[in-house]
Amino acid sequence: MKPLAEQSLYEILEVPSDAPEDDIVKAWDRVSALCAPGALATYTLIPQEDAALLGRRLEEALTVLLDPVARQRYDETLSLTPVPRGGGCGQASASGPEETPRPRVLPPVIRPRPMPPIIPPRRDSPPAGADLPTPIPLERVAPAVEAAEAPAQVEEAPPQIQVAEAPGRGELAEAPTPVEAAVPIPLATPVPVSPPFAAVADVPRPTPVPAALAPATVPPVVPAATPAPRPQEIIVGDGTRYTGDVLRRAREARGITVQQVCERTKITRHHVENLEAERYDLLPAPVYLRGILMALAKELRLDGQKVARSYLEAMAAAAPPPTTATRMTQR
Amino acid sequence: MPDAQPLQLVPTDPRVPRRAPVRALPRPPRIVSVGGGKGGIGKSLVAANLAIALARRGERVVLVDADLAGANLHTCLGLELPGRGLADVLERRAELAAVAVPTCVPGVRLVAGAMDHPDATNPKLAQKARLVKQLQTLDADRVVIDLGAGTHLHVLDLFLVSEQGLLVLVPEPSAVENVYRFVKAAFWRRVRHAVSAHGCEAQLRAVIGEGTFRSPAEILGTLSARHPQSGAVLARELIAFRPRLVVNQTRTPQDEGVGPAVIAAWRKFFGLGMDYLGHVPHEGEMWRAMRARRPLLVHSPEAPASLSFAHIAEGLAALEAAEVHSGRTT
Repeated sequence: MKPLAEQSLYEILEVPSDAPEDDIVKAWDRVSALCAPGALATYTLIPQEDAALLGRRLEEALTVLLDPVARQRYDETLSLTPVPRGGGCGQASASGPEETPRPRVLPPVIRPRPMPPIIPPRRDSPPAGADLPTPIPLERVAPAVEAAEAPAQVEEAPPQIQVAEAPGRGELAEAPTPVEAAVPIPLATPVPVSPPFAAVADVPRPTPVPAALAPATVPPVVPAATPAPRPQEIIVGDGTRYTGDVLRRAREARGITVQQVCERTKITRHHVENLEAERYDLLPAPVYLRGILMALAKELRLDGQKVARSYLEAMAAAAPPPTTATRMTQR
Repeated sequence: MPDAQPLQLVPTDPRVPRRAPVRALPRPPRIVSVGGGKGGIGKSLVAANLAIALARRGERVVLVDADLAGANLHTCLGLELPGRGLADVLERRAELAAVAVPTCVPGVRLVAGAMDHPDATNPKLAQKARLVKQLQTLDADRVVIDLGAGTHLHVLDLFLVSEQGLLVLVPEPSAVENVYRFVKAAFWRRVRHAVSAHGCEAQLRAVIGEGTFRSPAEILGTLSARHPQSGAVLARELIAFRPRLVVNQTRTPQDEGVGPAVIAAWRKFFGLGMDYLGHVPHEGEMWRAMRARRPLLVHSPEAPASLSFAHIAEGLAALEAAEVHSGRTT
């Protein structure tokens, strides 16, 4: 039996690490009943600080183990812990997605779901390609535009999204011949693809375009036009960091005012404002904030789990009060 | 039905001739002790009724009143204070087998408590050793020891010599507190005996002295890392120390959950095992039975509490069968 602080969340709940969610909820109920204040069974058995520690670990168990993505990440850190703890959890899981884009050479590899919505530029001389292509693919631009417009009817997402989405569909539909792939088609103006829209684009996946609409020549659209490679920690794992700014822009992109959000989600106006302005100290406790974030994300058609986790992590990192910090860092 | 008999005085001189020792003693009696730390939680009543329930399963039971400071088991069973009792055994005036008197329940004999002997409340080591030896050689299938309250050393020692130590608990914070204190004291006394027998007391003391350990399992980890042999001794003690729990006077469904919760907490925070034998519901007839100086199982055999004693006796037997099967005990 390890000390409480060193036990994994599974050990604390006394469930196997592959336990289904139902079992985890049941075990959670059981253990938290055991150490609830005033519980008879632990009276005088555990010291106060142990009870408090157990309470914090249980809260952590709730947020981590019931969120499939967070749980998977936690499982990965668990399997790494026997190795000296230098690697850090975030880095370890980041190595996977980080390496995928790099070996991708010109003929695009078919990937079922491109993880980072924005592909870093892999062309060493974009300006050279910039003046080349205009004469060649004139007739091919049309289907490209057509394809780009297709999702716009389905989803009212901002137009920038299609830039990120188009190559994925093109690759899926048909791999282009090397010659065509070698010739990049730049956009007339570089499209500023910024995190908020990437975040929006990541979640509501448009219905797949019929193969007939997806032309073979689409893929080269992106590489030249991509602005700057995004910082690594934004791309890693599961997409974007949902900061207050991102949430605000996502809301604005959907054309919703704060007032409307408040009316529809029943979140108090100042909560929404503080959230978007990242005035962390004015926000409610993480337990409640989580619910607020989930509701807000739902309203913005975002993945609530991702938004809540990302925002709460950013909040914990920005102002680390001792309790939150210990809760968030897995030791 | 012998149970229905009215209360009657039982002659101290038993009419039934004592069973001749020709019967090749197959094994020493199984010793069950009933403790729990707190006073007034029904240890004596649990002991008396459990003895009766075991006798009804066909065992020959000797009930020993080891509550040296406040013996009253004879009253629970409706006997006048027998002329001789445990005090005479401790003072070497009589053999244990000779002071066991029959009771109103066939198959149950009683060794009454030590009365009127101020010294008897604090027996010496040699006296205890003699008593234990005689307990183990009694001609019976089962010895049920009713322990006193508190964590006196003789209480702990008798609890530890028994094959099965029963902890009685009532669903109240004070009783829970005392039962944890009692069971911790018993555990550490047992560990101390074991390590001093193996000569590794100093090592254990050194390990305990240098850290803030919360549970024996943490100490075991450190000890085995440093002295594997001593670690093995302690590990054996950790596994072997396995009290049984009985929750008495349960009134609500929540009360019935206290027993399993205590066992879960004991394992989770102290790292040791405990077996749950069941609960005894609060019985409205109990006071009437007490006034009539009759054990509950005789007074109202069909009461829910009476049935639960049968269930507990069954659980005890099942645990023993499982242990014999796994080869942990003889």
